[in-house]
Formats: sequence, C-alpha cells, structure tokens
Amino acid sequence: MSGRNVVGKNVRKVDGLKLVTGGAAFTDDIQLPGMLYGKILGSPHAHARLKRIDTRKAKALLGVHAVLTYKDVPRVPHTTAGQSWPEPSPYDTYLLDSKVRYVGDRVAAVAAESRAIAERALRLIEVEYDVLPAVLDMEQAMAPGAAVIHDESDSKGIHDREHNVAGYIHRGIGDVEQGFRESDCIFEREFRTQRQQHCPIEPHITISWLDANDRLVIRTSTQVPYHTRRQVAMILQIPVSRVQVIKPRIGGGFGGKQEMLLEDIAGALAMAARRPVKIEYTREEEFYMARTRHPQILRMKMGVKRDGTILASHMIVLATTGAYGSHAGTVQGNTGSKVLPLYRAPNMLFHCHVVYTNTPVAGAFRGYGCPQGFFAQETLADEIARELGMDPLEFHSRNVIRLGDIDRLSAQLGEGKEGLPRVIRSCGLPQCMERGAEAIGWREKRAKTQDGGHLKRGVGMACTMQGSGIAGVDWASAFLKMNEDGAFFLQAGAADVGGGADTVLAQIAAETLGVTIDKIVITSGDTDSTPFDVGAYASSTTIISGGAVKKAAEKVRAQVLGLASKLLDTPPDKLECANNEVFTTCACRKSVSMSDLAMHALYKEKLQIMDGASHFNTDSPPPFCATFAEVEVDTETGQVRVVHLATAVDPGVAIHPKLAEGQVEGAVAQGLGYALTEELVLDGAGRPLNANFCDYKMFSAKDMPKLTTILVETDEPLGPFGAKSISEVPINGPAPAIANAIFDAVGVRIRKLPIRPEDVLKALRSEVAAQ
Amino acid sequence: MKTMEVRLKVNGEGKQFAVAPGEVLLDVLRREGYFGVKRGCEKGECGACTVLVNGRPVNSCLMFAAQAEGAEVLTIEGVAHGDVLDPVQEAFLDSGAVQCGFCTSGMIVSARALLDRRPDPTEEEVREVMAGHFCRCTGYLKPVEAVLAVARKTKRGGRKQTARVAR
Amino acid sequence: MFDKVEAFHRPDTIGEAIRLLGSSKGARVVAGGTDLVVHGDQSARVLIDITRAGLSYIRRRGASCVIGATTTMAQLEESDAIRGLAGGVLAHAAATCGSIQIRNVATIGGNIANASPAADLATPLLALDASVVVAAPGGRRKVGLAEYLAGARGRSLVKSLLVEVVIPEPARGPRCGWSFQKLGRTAVDISLVNAAVGLQLDSKGRVKWARIALGAVAPAVVRASAAEEMLTGRVLDRSATDAASAEVARAVSPISDVRATAQYRREMSRVLAGRALEECAARAGWPL
Repeated sequence: MSGRNVVGKNVRKVDGLKLVTGGAAFTDDIQLPGMLYGKILGSPHAHARLKRIDTRKAKALLGVHAVLTYKDVPRVPHTTAGQSWPEPSPYDTYLLDSKVRYVGDRVAAVAAESRAIAERALRLIEVEYDVLPAVLDMEQAMAPGAAVIHDESDSKGIHDREHNVAGYIHRGIGDVEQGFRESDCIFEREFRTQRQQHCPIEPHITISWLDANDRLVIRTSTQVPYHTRRQVAMILQIPVSRVQVIKPRIGGGFGGKQEMLLEDIAGALAMAARRPVKIEYTREEEFYMARTRHPQILRMKMGVKRDGTILASHMIVLATTGAYGSHAGTVQGNTGSKVLPLYRAPNMLFHCHVVYTNTPVAGAFRGYGCPQGFFAQETLADEIARELGMDPLEFHSRNVIRLGDIDRLSAQLGEGKEGLPRVIRSCGLPQCMERGAEAIGWREKRAKTQDGGHLKRGVGMACTMQGSGIAGVDWASAFLKMNEDGAFFLQAGAADVGGGADTVLAQIAAETLGVTIDKIVITSGDTDSTPFDVGAYASSTTIISGGAVKKAAEKVRAQVLGLASKLLDTPPDKLECANNEVFTTCACRKSVSMSDLAMHALYKEKLQIMDGASHFNTDSPPPFCATFAEVEVDTETGQVRVVHLATAVDPGVAIHPKLAEGQVEGAVAQGLGYALTEELVLDGAGRPLNANFCDYKMFSAKDMPKLTTILVETDEPLGPFGAKSISEVPINGPAPAIANAIFDAVGVRIRKLPIRPEDVLKALRSEVAAQ
Repeated sequence: MKTMEVRLKVNGEGKQFAVAPGEVLLDVLRREGYFGVKRGCEKGECGACTVLVNGRPVNSCLMFAAQAEGAEVLTIEGVAHGDVLDPVQEAFLDSGAVQCGFCTSGMIVSARALLDRRPDPTEEEVREVMAGHFCRCTGYLKPVEAVLAVARKTKRGGRKQTARVAR
Repeated sequence: MFDKVEAFHRPDTIGEAIRLLGSSKGARVVAGGTDLVVHGDQSARVLIDITRAGLSYIRRRGASCVIGATTTMAQLEESDAIRGLAGGVLAHAAATCGSIQIRNVATIGGNIANASPAADLATPLLALDASVVVAAPGGRRKVGLAEYLAGARGRSLVKSLLVEVVIPEPARGPRCGWSFQKLGRTAVDISLVNAAVGLQLDSKGRVKWARIALGAVAPAVVRASAAEEMLTGRVLDRSATDAASAEVARAVSPISDVRATAQYRREMSRVLAGRALEECAARAGWPL
C-alpha cells in the first residue's frame, strides 16, 4: 500500500534480539529461591474409580512439601477450554477427582524439592483402582450398554450424559432433500481423520507462587492469560484480583495452549506448600496428557447439476472429544460453519455428534475443525469434478463464495450458540487459484502422460477458508502512554505465542502514531499490567487485538495533535504525524519532534498523554487459500513424496509480509504431517504407543517439499489497515490437495488420514485387482 | 548426594561445575544460568538442547555432564562476538527465520558449526544439519535460507552489520 | 533421570573398564549415551564412560579393517578407509543413523551391543562377515557378529565389553558392487527395513558370490542365505533378482508395530532387496 512507513514492511521482530542470543525469555528461564518441583500422577487405566488412595508415605518422604488428592481440594466443575465466559464447553472437569477417565488423567499431584524426589513421591502414593470398562472406539460410545464416562451429577452442559454425547449440532439452511431431488448427480463418501498432537517444541510448563502480598502469581506458557486467570480463581475459590497470570515468550502453542492445563494444579500446590512450584510436562506427557486434534468420521453428500453447480451439501460428523469436553461443540461447529459455506450451495445441512471416549483429551488445534472438514469436502469436490469431466479449477470457480456474498450458515452455527451472518467484504480467492495454479504448473502437469517407471507424478488442489476472530465474542483492549523520548509504551493483553504478534501490534501502533518501530515498547499478556484480551486463538490477534491497538493509537494521536496544535499554532486538521515528528501540512513547514512534544507535555503541561481502547467485530471476515500439491508416488513402496506445495493466501493486507509467509510455511508443515505421517496411536487399553518424537513422525527439514508462498492481498474494511488473518487457514489445504494429487498420479482415492504408504499400496493393489 | 567436580570451558571461559554423577549436561548448563540451551524432549530428538562440544554439535540432554570434563563447550550465549552479533544471528533476524525462538538457539549453534567447516554448503547440506532440529513454527524454509544467505554474503566478502547485544 | 547413579568413571584403559564393570551389579557402560540415556535404565548405579579408553580408531590389521568400539558414526562417515571399503556401505549406513548431533556421539560399539533389531550398522557388518572382539576379566575373544547378536539377550548379565569390530577385507575387483538401502517413514527415522547387499560377477555376468543382509525384519539382522545360494552361479538379470528378492521375503520374520505392519515389512524386504541388487549390478558394471 502506498504511503505506509511501518505496516507492510519486514521490520526485525521486536523480541528477535533476545531470541537469537538465548536471552532468558521463556517460562523456565528463571530460578526462584525455594522453588519446588511439581509432578502429576497420571492414571494407568483408561477408566476407573479411585477405591482407595493413601498419600501418607508420599507425604512422609523427606523433601516433599505437598501431596494433593481429590480429598484435599474444592470440587468445582469447570471446563479447561480457553474461551470467553460462559464457556460453550461442558463443565465436566475437576481439579482432582475420585474418578479417572483416560490413561494419564490426574490421580494426585506432589510438590517436592527436586524432580527425583517428586518422582519417588509419586511411586509412594498407594492407589486402589476399581477398573471400569473403557470406551475407546468413538463408534461404540453411544451404543446401548456402553460405560457412562461422565456419570457424575454435578457436571453441566453435557448434551446427553447417559449416551456419552458431549455435544450435538444440527443446523442448516434451505432444504437439502429438495436440493438432492433437483440434482442431476449425487455423491456420498465417508472420510476418517486421526488424532494429531501439536508438538510445540516447548512443552506445557507453569510456575506458580504466592507473592509478598499473598497474591497467586502464575508464570505460564499460555495463549489465554485472561481466561486462565478467571478459571484458576474460580477453581481455587479465590478472587480474580488475587491472581496474576504472566505470559513470557512461548515456545509454540498452535491451540494446545488455548487451555488452562497446568495452572490450576500448580497454583493449588503453591498454595498448599507456600513455596513456588514448577510443573512442566515431559515430552511424553505432552503427547497424551495435554490436548490433541479431534479425530472425526465424516460422511459428506453433495448434489450437483451436470454443469457442476452444487445444489446441496450435507455433512454428518461423528467426533470424539476424548475424556473431557474441552472445545467439543465449537471445534465441530467450525467443521460445518467454516467448511460448507466455501461453496454457494443454497441448501446445506450439518449434523454432528461429539462423543466422549476414554482417550486423551481433544481441544483446540490450528484450523479448529476445518482441516477435518476440508479434507472431506475438497476430496469429494475433486471426485465430483472428475466424474463430470471438469477441471477442478473450473468446478471451484463455478461454486466458491464470492465478494459481496452473504454466508447464512454462520448465522446458524456460531460458537455454541446463534451466530451472525457473514458478509464477504474482501475476497482474493480467484487470484489465489490462478496464481497457485501457475506456480505448480497445473495445466502442463495435468496434461502430461506418465512414463512407464514405478514413480508416478500428479497434481491436486484444494480451496479453503477460515475466519478472523469470533464475531461478537472475541475482543481486545490496549493502552498507550507517551514517554520523554517520544517513545510510546504499548500495553496489550494480546498473547504473542511466537508468530510475531507483538511485532505486528507495534507496527500498527507505530504506523498510526507516525513514529518509527523502535519508538514502540510493547508489554503484552500480563493480567496485572495489560488490559483484557481474550487471547491468541481463532486467528484473532491481528484483526481484533490489532483493531484495539489502532483505536487506542488513534485516540493518543488525537491528544498528540491537540498539544502540537497549541505548540505550532495550527489547527489539528492541518497537522500530520510521521517519522517521529508532527508537522504542518500547509506551506509554512513548522514541526515539533515527538520527544520535544513529550517533554513539554510531561513537564510544562503536567499532562501524561495516554489512552486506551477496546475493540471487537460483529463479523469474521474469512482469509482464503488455494493449495496446490505436486506429488510423486512410488508404486512399489506406496511412499508419497511431496515435490512441491504452493499456497496462495488472501490474508487481507499483510502487516508484516515475512511473518505472514512464516505463518503459511509453518502451517503447511503441520498440514503435511497431518496428511502423511502424524498420528497419536493408542493400544487396546487406551495407552499411547508413540508418545515420543522417534515414533510420532513430524516432517523434518529433509522431508519438506519445495514451498511456494503467494500472498494475494485484498483490503478488508473490518481489519486494521485492511488486514484479516493468516495463521490457521494454510493448514487446511495440504491433506486434500495431496489426496487429490495422489489420485491424479495413480488413480486411487484415499479417504483416511494419515495417508500411509501401506494404505496407498493396498489401494493400488485393489485397483489393479479390480481391473 | 555425592557430587563431582567437572572442569571445562564454556564459551571460552574456564568453569568448574559441581555435578551429580548421573546429571546430564543440559540440566547442569541451565542450572548454571545458560538459559538459552532449551529442554524439548530429553531424548536427543528435537535438537533444542544442542551445544557444540569441541566444535561438534551434540544433544546436551544425552551427554552426562561428567563427559564434558576438559571439553570446550559453545552455547548460544557464546555465539555473538562480544557486543557484535554473529552473521548467522543477523541472518536469522533478517530472513524471518525466528518465530517463537525455542528451536533457534540450537539451530544457530549447529549452523555456526556447519559454516565453520563448510563455508559454502549446498542446500542439501544445510537441510541435513537442520534435520537435527525440530521446528513447529517455520516449516524450516526461512532458517535454511538464512544459513545460505550467510554463506553467500561471506563468499562476496560482505560487510558485517553491528548491533547491540542485550546483556 | 539418573538420580540413583552414585559414581561416574572414565577409565583410560580397557582393563580398568572391565574391572569397574565387574565391581558392581549396577555398573553400566556409556559412550555416546544415545541408547542408555534415551531408555533411562533405572538400575544403573555406576556409569563407566569408555570414550577415553583408547577405543576410537580405524586401522588395517593384516587383511582386515579393525574399528574401535567407541568410533562414532560421524567418524565412520568421514573416514576415507571406510568410504573405500565395500563400496562405502558401512559409511552410507552410518550416515543414516539419526541426526548430525546423534552421529557425532553414537558409536559402532553401542549400535551393535544394544542389539536393536533395527540397528543400521549391523546389517552391512553382517553382509561383510564381520566379527567383534569382546573383552572380559578372563581375556579377549573374537565372536562372529551373528553369534554375538544371538546372545544379546543375556548380555546385560555378562560383564563383558565389546571393544573392536573386525571386518575381513572383502573381495575387490571391477565387477564388485555393494549397496545399502533403508526405508523409513520420513528421512530421519528408525529403519522399517534396511538391506545391505554385495556381490561379485564374472565376465559373463554370473554371480561369483552374493551377500544379502536384512535388518529390522527379524529379532536380529539376518542373512538371506537361500537367496544368496540361489544367485550364486546364475547370470544376474531381472528374473534372477526377482527370484532372489522373493526368496528374501521368505527369509524374514517381521513384526507389526506402530511404524508398520509385518506384511508391509515383508513386502518391503522384497522391494529393498531388489533395489539393492539392481544398484549392485550397476556398480559392478552390469546394469540390469
């Protein structure tokens, strides 16, 4: 965009220096005198009652300062989901309980003087379990006779406790049956997706202590400081204002830290021991005692006319949320509300059961229900296009949502309640498709015939979208004050979890105030010193937190201009701010530097230039994405090598193009693992089989394909400087694009993730056998 | 608990650490204040704990502290040259290779070791080095580009940029 | 976590290492730590670091190449002698053993002594008819690799130390070809299947000898002797390699685990053996 000085520029990250020099920046990078090591005793059984629990020997061990069981703590039903109050997830979780519902569920917790003593103490806790039948298969969870996982009477918000249904959704627009009757062709397929784990390189970690004023301080790796504060206060039954949550630098979140996970137990231990307590998950615990993506079984049915127009789409989903209902209704709600309306079908129906199983707990994970839904929809769309003899590009162009359209389904499927209709005010999807197709060599590669070798190549595509913040729910606030040197302190509740939010917010403030980026000093994510922000999720930070920062900066700018007007004897409307100074726009070029103005304000006017603002949107403008994959299938081993992955995204305006590209590249890497290699596997007793990096395979630097990232910028009226979002949408495309590319290469459809070599080989064999 | 004395050099400084016989180097380094060395998996898989021991990158979570007796260890804290950032650090900052930063310490240390041995590596060689570092944020592209950029700049005899190092 | 470890020793001779090993039930040998630390042996009370006991070397001794037990993967990869040995199969295998950080400390002795069915070095070593030298209080003895691996289960109770690997010089000549193949789920992975194959042809393309070893598809690395015999004396063409590969698939007894099913491993044994034979043929100047 012309005339912008900071926004749209690739400034160095404001926290970059600290990170490249190994500065003490993360939760664990402090040493507190007397700090104890906390550890959780996880259940060895998938489903059991604690018949007897005796902690006397553990308590008597030298160096142990606290041991807690359900008998020692208040019983407060809650959800751990980091969502706005009242959270739309069931209140079915307890700090510590007399029942355990998955392998790894909390049995007890200890705080001791060293990790070794803590581990020894855990082994000294005597537990007698009354082992109950476990429900491990989501397809059996609602069956008559299945064990009831949440049979407790005090949990709230569970849709149908007796049948293990945490959440249920049945919403639509139009009349799908009528739509199918009018269709020339109907296609119906089933798809399955797996349990993926976030694998942040920094596992969950929390340090909690009582300060000198007896306030509970929680220093933690979180995406949601404010929700966590509220929830911890409620669970520990202390006033919110007695709790402080501090978010330092975070080593990745991806949704796994949109959760109150260790903060409550760390706080409880700190209060019991009256010493600081650190709890950190080992990598193994991170895999199965944190959160995962929701596995789903999706049945998708689409009715089309012969010319490719989609008349009706009906999606039926069975998902499991694991042992507790964190994000149960909202993730799956997204599977419907963000996926189906990609197409302009007048009739849509979304029908979903979210069931409990005695398995690791599912929660928020980048994409939030969309990767599952788009895998189904975009793979089916490709199949339909081929059956109709259409280029998938043409099929998409005909059907995808357009600028000016209204998405009425989102009014039906808000976050757990009635939502708001969505108007598309910016849409770069056509250009995304065109430029992505060009980057991958779509036309040439589809036309090429294969040679006779065992390596076969193919190309595939997928179109996807997401949201930018939750309409009418996500909100943020920010505060700015001016200092003597013309620098502004920006206090934002927003949670930078590594993607560069602090930098982007500083850019927005700097651009609005007319200063250089070094003149913004940002503090974020501290519930004592920064104002409220829902936190980093739903792709909300740039658009919502950024919106608040822009508003606050505009108010402060007005104060600056007000004082400058006095100093320069010129009306404010004839003044401009740029380059750390205020100057007149008329012929007499008068100016005052920001620092001179500040000195004058503070010491002559006795005025602190400062102000704050809040912001939310009543709509959630979607970023759009077209993903193109070229694969090479080894027909002897079934291995699929992704040769090239091109992602064209419309994020609105990219406030920081390199950080925006970084979001695409990181999301796509997770999408590649989701498509081909990642799955947390459980055995017949619900125990994890591959809770480590050796056996749970992520893509490494050697596995990555050639990546092309194309930013197709549009101007979104609801976003600061035209920005929407980019952090989630690129993760949705790789799985369907790859599945479609495999079909293009070897003529087999895989409808189950991850797509393993064995699956490809098996499909190839049955394809050959069928012919 | 009986401790033993381990004498070694860390970032050029002579050090003497009191360690338990079964302690790993990662835990000792962090206890001694080298917070830049990160704990990610404790099984030598993620590379976040990477330090150089006698010039070679190793996972400090797999090495017993006592095995570092007499060794020269380089951590991320020792990569900069006094107040001046190393070209690898500059390149990481300029190319958007740093997102959350948790894997960054290890990557920079390994990249520095690579460039010291092979000033002009191929992309394949850089990816081989990066394959020992899991990053969940960047997809590896910008870190790889950063290392190749340093190699190109050094080849051209590029001017080093200076920056104040936070203390 | 090794909080129960009471003492850490760094003997500078093998004799001292053996003595320490025998002195306590909880004594454990450590070199690179890439197995010991990862598996977290809670019964360890005394750690004996043998990396300073003079076991890091690569030499010729008579008609053999001898490698000290604490020679690292990186040293094997970088050694001209190892790269020149048997078409470099051992160097190639060493280069696939994990990341650079791992290869900088992981040792050939550890790879063999820990006897993981997927140990990548064992496969080419078996194809090369290697032996190991084991030191015990009573002295040293040389044991064939297959015999050593077969006794691996009882190893922890026997206070012996693997000190050297001996590789008899394989036949040289223009019509020799060697190949190492590995299949993993990603580029850096424990082998689902690995194969080390070597052969020599006469001037008419007939196989004078063939060595075929497979790893990760049986409790220990195996030689596919039936396949080797089938090839000997036969002209090396596609029908020969197909027949030999099919025979290899019959020689293995893989398991199913979270990485792959037994059926897939068996099938991939055939595919990898075929590819290795094809590569050997090309290197022997007899492309199929």
